[in-house]
Amino acid sequence: MSIEALGVTKKFGQFTALDNVDLEIPSGELVALLGPSGSGKTTLLRIIAGLEFADSGTIRFDGRDISDRTVRERQVGFVFQHYALFRHMTVFENIAFGLRVRPREHRPSREKIRAKVQELLKLIQLENLAQRYPSQLSGGQRQRVALARALAVEPSVLLLDEPFGALDAKVRQELRRWLRQLHDEIHITSLFVTHDQEEALELANRVVVMDHGRIEQVGAPDEVYNHPATPFVYNFLGNVNLFHGRVDGGKTYIHERETGHLVYVRPHLLDIARLPNGGDHFRARIKHINAAGPLVKVEAVTDWGALVHVEMPQDRFSTLHLLKDESVFVIPRDLKVFKVHEAER
Amino acid sequence: MAITLKKRSILPGFGLTLGFTLSYLALIVLIPLSATFLKASTVTWTRFWQTISDPRAVASYRISFGASLIAALINLVFGLLVAWVLVRYTFPGKRLVDSLVDLPFALPTAVAGIALTTIYSSHGWVGRYLEPLGIKAAYSPLGIVIALTFIGLPFVVRTVQPVLEDLDKDVEEAASSLGANRLQIFTRVILPAILPAALTGFTMAFARAVGEYGSVVFISGNMPMRTEITPLLIITKLDQYDYAGATAIAVVMLVASFTLLLAINLLQKWSSRGQRGESREEAVIAGNPLEPSFVQ
Repeated sequence: MSIEALGVTKKFGQFTALDNVDLEIPSGELVALLGPSGSGKTTLLRIIAGLEFADSGTIRFDGRDISDRTVRERQVGFVFQHYALFRHMTVFENIAFGLRVRPREHRPSREKIRAKVQELLKLIQLENLAQRYPSQLSGGQRQRVALARALAVEPSVLLLDEPFGALDAKVRQELRRWLRQLHDEIHITSLFVTHDQEEALELANRVVVMDHGRIEQVGAPDEVYNHPATPFVYNFLGNVNLFHGRVDGGKTYIHERETGHLVYVRPHLLDIARLPNGGDHFRARIKHINAAGPLVKVEAVTDWGALVHVEMPQDRFSTLHLLKDESVFVIPRDLKVFKVHEAER
Repeated sequence: MAITLKKRSILPGFGLTLGFTLSYLALIVLIPLSATFLKASTVTWTRFWQTISDPRAVASYRISFGASLIAALINLVFGLLVAWVLVRYTFPGKRLVDSLVDLPFALPTAVAGIALTTIYSSHGWVGRYLEPLGIKAAYSPLGIVIALTFIGLPFVVRTVQPVLEDLDKDVEEAASSLGANRLQIFTRVILPAILPAALTGFTMAFARAVGEYGSVVFISGNMPMRTEITPLLIITKLDQYDYAGATAIAVVMLVASFTLLLAINLLQKWSSRGQRGESREEAVIAGNPLEPSFVQ
């Protein structure tokens, strides 16, 4: 089922959570709503779910206007950050809940409910824990139960609010991969909220970057990462060095005193050399080297006192033999220039 | 034995605090209670049976436990309502209402009794409108229920309130997204969550009501066989220097109360299955006074 949001605006008192947002999600996609806290991503998700109502604008499922329908009538599966499991019910009862509360004429038989729950327990690989209570499960297991519970009612869309936010890094990784697989199997239109850019880029096949109640960019993960539409997106997706600069005759000049332009360079797009290579470069002094991990992280200070982060592969680092306090040339391989008024919008 | 009991723990002073707790409980609760049993055992079995099965005594048990049960049930229902309103809604004067709930705790029970009697007697503010309807509030079993409801009001409110505050809104939202209607959300999600706490409050209100004396004696009229509560009967016997008789009836009350409280506690344990170690009502259960103070 496709989801459309048209001109959605939502205010909480003076605070504008969503400012005239338009978004279209084609059927069967796995989409990430990515943004910092306060960017409106959770509000948008909750409005799509029907847990919150927009001040103005329309929500459509498969082209049908469902703006006035309640969450009950929208038939969405919703997964909460803190699981929201029913504490007094076993895992089995939790998953069966959505089927048991159906009006009598639509309620499946006892055996059918049992079979459905068993099937879902198998899907989340918790067949042995059906009779446990949520308090007896780990965080990752709880979130899988929450997911199974949402899927039990066979929703037309699956909405997840920071589904891995409360879990530790390792479990998060596992669950991410598992959700990806699950989506490949059942192809349910899924929308998840996250503030973790890595999670969004890894899991989604389309990323919606949001800030201050507006959508900054929509695109495939590599598209938003490699071709950020705005300074915010560039800044938010990965580490970045920020310089002041000026563009003159096709050349970019970097200096602290310059105004008018902002120059963004990712650390891995900077190289270090002992001699200038004839191309773009600036001088810097190495302050700190961190060689742990696949990339060596070098911190350097420019002539005018700005801090520069450079990342290079281990083999490049070992051929260079860089030392602390050494004066070197920093060579940007690629950079992105935005006009200041554009950057500070 | 001493070795197996001694577990390594980061919390120091287990032995000391447990020892203190046990001696304290013995001093405050067990010794006075066993004195009751000892005193009661000074009479012969026939005499004991005669005292406790006296029609007047039996009538007093009925009125004491009956009125307490009704009052605790009223408090259960309306306490839940008050807690719900105090937690879920914001309205001007909410804090004032919130502190009003505790008033029955602070007020001397005799004052409460006199106040209630004044209001509900046939010339009182409320009593005068009940009289033409044929309802006699003061000097009747109804008056006892009113007094006991008054003094038991805070218990359910105060036990349910924190649990209700703790109940995440997203649990209700989850139920709603799964297709549950409002009634189903209340009966299947909210009620089971607050039931253990509500039962605790109910138990405490009931225990308090069974032992209540001060407020009831003013409003009940104290007619033997009709509006005489058991604690009053005990006092009457004490006034007649019939200590053994008084304690005999006290023993009956004690055993009956204990049995009832135990039953409710078991019920509570059953209703809180799956919530162990997670919810805050555990703390409330632990703090539940099992013994009613039966003579004030």
